[in-house]
Amino acid sequence: MPPEKINSVAAFPVTFRPGRYAGLTGNQVVRGFFGGNAIVSVVVLGLITLFLLREGHGFFGQNRRNLEIYRAAGLEFVDILKRQEEGFGSLNRTLFEIRLAAGREKEPGSPMATAAELEAFDAYASELGDAAGPLRELVGELVETASAIKTKLVMNEDRLAERQHLLATGRQSEAGSIRIETIDSEAELRPLLESRARHSAISGSLAKSLVELSERMPSMSAPELQVLLGEFGELLRDYVASFPGIERQLAEWRHDREVSIFSAITAFLFGREWLTASFWQDWYGVLPLVTGSFLISLIALGLAVPLGVGAAVYVNQIARPSERSAIKPCIEFISAIPSVVLGFFGIAVLGEALRKVSHIAWLEWIPGFPIAERLNALTAGCLLGLIAVPIIFSLAEDALQNVPKSFKEASLALGASRIQTVVRIILPAGISGIISAVLLGLGRVIGETMVVLLCAGNRIAIPDFSAGPGVMTQPVHTMTGIIAQEMGEVVQGGIHYRALFAVGILLFCLSLMINLTAQRILGRYRLLSS
Amino acid sequence: MPVMDSSNTDLRIRTSMPAFASPVDIHQAPRALIEIENLDFHYGPHKVLHEISLQIPERQVTAFIGPSGCGKSTLLRCLNRMNDLIDGARVGAGRISIRGIDIHRSDVDVIELRKRLGMVFQKSNPFPKSIYENVAYGLRIQGVRDRSRLDEAVERSLQGAGLWDEVKDRLHTSGLGLSGGQQQRLCIARTIAVEPEIILMDEPCSALDPIATAKIEELIKELRSKFTIVIVTHNMQQAARCSDLTAFFYLGRLVEFSPTRTIFMNPVNPQTEAYVSGRFG
Amino acid sequence: MSQSSTHPYQSRPGIRRAAERIAFWMLRVCTYAVLACGVFVLSDVVFKGARAVFRSEFPFVNVTFFTEAPESLHVFDYEGRKVEMGDREFRAFRHRESQKAAAENREPLPIESQSFVYSAGGILPCIVGTVLLTVGATVIALLLGISSAVYLSEYARQGTMVRFMRLAILNLAGVPSIVFGLFGMGLFVIYLKWNVSLLAGWFTLAFMVLPLVITASEEALKAVPKGFREASLALGATPWQTIRKAVLPHALSGMLTSSILCVARVAGETAPIMFTAAYVVRDKLPWQGLEHFGDFFFQGVMALPYHIYVVSSKIPQNDYTQRTQYGAAFVFLLIVGLIAASSIILRGKLRQRQTW
Repeated sequence: MPPEKINSVAAFPVTFRPGRYAGLTGNQVVRGFFGGNAIVSVVVLGLITLFLLREGHGFFGQNRRNLEIYRAAGLEFVDILKRQEEGFGSLNRTLFEIRLAAGREKEPGSPMATAAELEAFDAYASELGDAAGPLRELVGELVETASAIKTKLVMNEDRLAERQHLLATGRQSEAGSIRIETIDSEAELRPLLESRARHSAISGSLAKSLVELSERMPSMSAPELQVLLGEFGELLRDYVASFPGIERQLAEWRHDREVSIFSAITAFLFGREWLTASFWQDWYGVLPLVTGSFLISLIALGLAVPLGVGAAVYVNQIARPSERSAIKPCIEFISAIPSVVLGFFGIAVLGEALRKVSHIAWLEWIPGFPIAERLNALTAGCLLGLIAVPIIFSLAEDALQNVPKSFKEASLALGASRIQTVVRIILPAGISGIISAVLLGLGRVIGETMVVLLCAGNRIAIPDFSAGPGVMTQPVHTMTGIIAQEMGEVVQGGIHYRALFAVGILLFCLSLMINLTAQRILGRYRLLSS
Repeated sequence: MPVMDSSNTDLRIRTSMPAFASPVDIHQAPRALIEIENLDFHYGPHKVLHEISLQIPERQVTAFIGPSGCGKSTLLRCLNRMNDLIDGARVGAGRISIRGIDIHRSDVDVIELRKRLGMVFQKSNPFPKSIYENVAYGLRIQGVRDRSRLDEAVERSLQGAGLWDEVKDRLHTSGLGLSGGQQQRLCIARTIAVEPEIILMDEPCSALDPIATAKIEELIKELRSKFTIVIVTHNMQQAARCSDLTAFFYLGRLVEFSPTRTIFMNPVNPQTEAYVSGRFG
Repeated sequence: MSQSSTHPYQSRPGIRRAAERIAFWMLRVCTYAVLACGVFVLSDVVFKGARAVFRSEFPFVNVTFFTEAPESLHVFDYEGRKVEMGDREFRAFRHRESQKAAAENREPLPIESQSFVYSAGGILPCIVGTVLLTVGATVIALLLGISSAVYLSEYARQGTMVRFMRLAILNLAGVPSIVFGLFGMGLFVIYLKWNVSLLAGWFTLAFMVLPLVITASEEALKAVPKGFREASLALGATPWQTIRKAVLPHALSGMLTSSILCVARVAGETAPIMFTAAYVVRDKLPWQGLEHFGDFFFQGVMALPYHIYVVSSKIPQNDYTQRTQYGAAFVFLLIVGLIAASSIILRGKLRQRQTW
């Protein structure tokens, strides 16, 4: 190195000196430390994805196997017949309802139908009920056959798994001792397939007797009952008309048709039944849970959005400063109430209170009233609304606060009233902030567990939307609730366990989507206001 | 990227001797439109205006000058009671009357008051709406729905603010897309659309470049024929160029109020002289 | 516009005025309705819970409630009175009865008791478990969160990596708590074989509040004026010296106070600890019967929120069980409320003190 350069550095030493820690300066080390910690969130998000997938991805394969066994054991075949039998059952129920109506008193002391009419009706009903006897018998027999085949298949499956486990752990001899039966599906299923001829005979005679029955309806003097009976006749004829379709389904059924992985996925995403630990067939359809979650969220947001945004407008634009500084921490404090306490409150107080209110006579016009169950979607929705209000309030208030003061001043200086200023200037300017507040509230509500677990009623069924707005008062189950409720009781690695993780994955994706949408809307808003 | 104002304007920026707008003798001035008598004003515990008495004549441009924090903007915002919005702000003593009516009287509707006293702010603040909607806003809030009336008012106001030719082809684009000077003229158009009697301007050019400033100043001179204008400025040349009367404030007190020429040529008060000659402030 | 009034600024009553007033009132009603709901929930739990927790005579507090573990409650008729007893007491009582009967040479009187699980005794193990979980998770979350915030606000330059980090933080904040529970179960309990343990609960809870702590801390760092940093850097301080001497001292109190709100969230969550740290019932307190010191971290605990879930969902609602239910909810609310209130009050104080 030329000497004059060294001198200049000594005179004005501004160049880097090599670090002491493995060639790094102290500052670089510190920076690395902080950076490493900052990475943690990225890593955690990645780990969440990884471990949800790790535990959950096996579900679809298992579900496919589940559906394969369903088909191979002939359960699917029997279910076709069972549906026919259930159709008949619902006909019977309709008839029973008509009977109830007939027995009901039109005016005090006089039932809708005379005693003779009722007698004739009862005779007719029992004749109708008897008509399906052979069908019931057949279904009963086939259910047993199919169950037996399924048991064999499942046992085989378990043995296979055990052997593989032993092989994997290196215990060859023990693995060899496990005998795997070869199951001749054709032979096993023969009784089922052969029953087709018997079924077509049964269903033919059933059709004949039903048609005959539909032609000689009992006559009723009350016109209301006559109308009901007419409708019943329609149902009867429709039911009989469905028989050829059933026979065709039976004829077309094949036990060895392949179950694609795609159908295993759709059976999960669009399956209408979540039925576990059943002796017949387990179903993992997430639709009832998703509808439950969304129904509750809808109720919660329906309450929380007007209240939260209204309160935000009031506090930000109308309230005096002293009032403002008193209300804001109070509403924030509500968000600190733990959800499990709210859930407990729902069980202990709110559910019963709502039910009592719904039994007040002059409130009967409200859809869904009177409420039958103490714990239902409405109870959970109200409490979730209380959880969502502080979130929506804080974020919406922030959004309004971020609207430049100059807009407000300009509007007021033009002679606008305060409410005009709010409606025409402040709300439009803050709208994207408010929308993202609502979305984040939705994310919180969908992901909330304890309140729905305790208060939603936990009935796994798609709520009956034909009840109109009254659907709100039905008990439902939710995605979060089912995980919390069933995870403690399942076998690790089993299909049920994996199904719960699959629900977790769905929930995770849903919350990411909601969150990203909210961020995007907020980002656009920031762009606009800057 | 803001669009530059169309530029072939004479830059009337003088550094030496200001050009005076028009000689007005205060004693001959038209009758006072705004009368301020012994006004004291407080922000919480701080008294920011002390015994201000001032008579602002009709159809003249009155400028408030003075160093920062002297209370000139506060006084301006007292006139349309914008100070009501500030917590703890109150009038301690004295009164302000416009056309003989005390604006703090209990039966005065502050909204009606503000409709008659337009205001242009220091920083241009168009609403995040289209140019058209910005100008029509004042009329819409008064309940005007008639499209042709709105169209007509928008065109008239934009022409009045000298902006029509620049924006007539893009009336429905956002007002935030205009350049700073255009935005400020849009705000002026928005103000004159509701046809106020008085226009209050709070340092309207302080955020603008010299070319845009010159345009606004020219506009002020034109508007003088129709409106009474009160303008707050810390730019003495501006006061000299476009005002008829000038009030000099210092530390919350009115030091001198005279025709602009007098203030700048032979001020009575030595403080005024010191300020206008640039020795402090 | 009509000019018939005495002056042009006269205020005139009109529909618009009335509409404005109605609108104001509706908004006001919205606000106070929310507050009323919150107050109603709180007061219900507080009043009924206080009855279980406080006593009218000395020492004014139901001591057993805070010093015992939960046990079953037995209710039975004895000599014409309704008697309530905890499980241990009941066993001793039955033993005495049978001895008495044997001494008198007769068959012991049949005692038909109704029993309600968890309804007698106290909630000491739950309080201990909750405190342990909260403290551990808070320490981890604060360490990670504050240093993340320091990096993001002081070191990081705008770039893809930082954008990615921020996106991850925002999205982490939106992940449902039950998903954190699943994640904790998958990673800590099963994969790392920590089983249901304090450690698994700590990390699960800490990761859950991490985004909140980061956001709160960054807010506090942003509140420190830029001038402080520039002045320090201009004097030749290194970035770390600047942060340590000129930034952190001013931001630390703000960071801690806003992070306390996150602590309340940690203490209040149930779903993440359901599968990772909480036991329905555990006889031993966490420091009892440890073979190695390390075992301390690998044991599950009872936790107050989970206990409330258990007692409110698994046992019926009646006069006997409600005391425990409300008592536990009240104590829990008290703990969480104190944490949250101290944060809100401290923040208010801090804002007043900050003068820049």
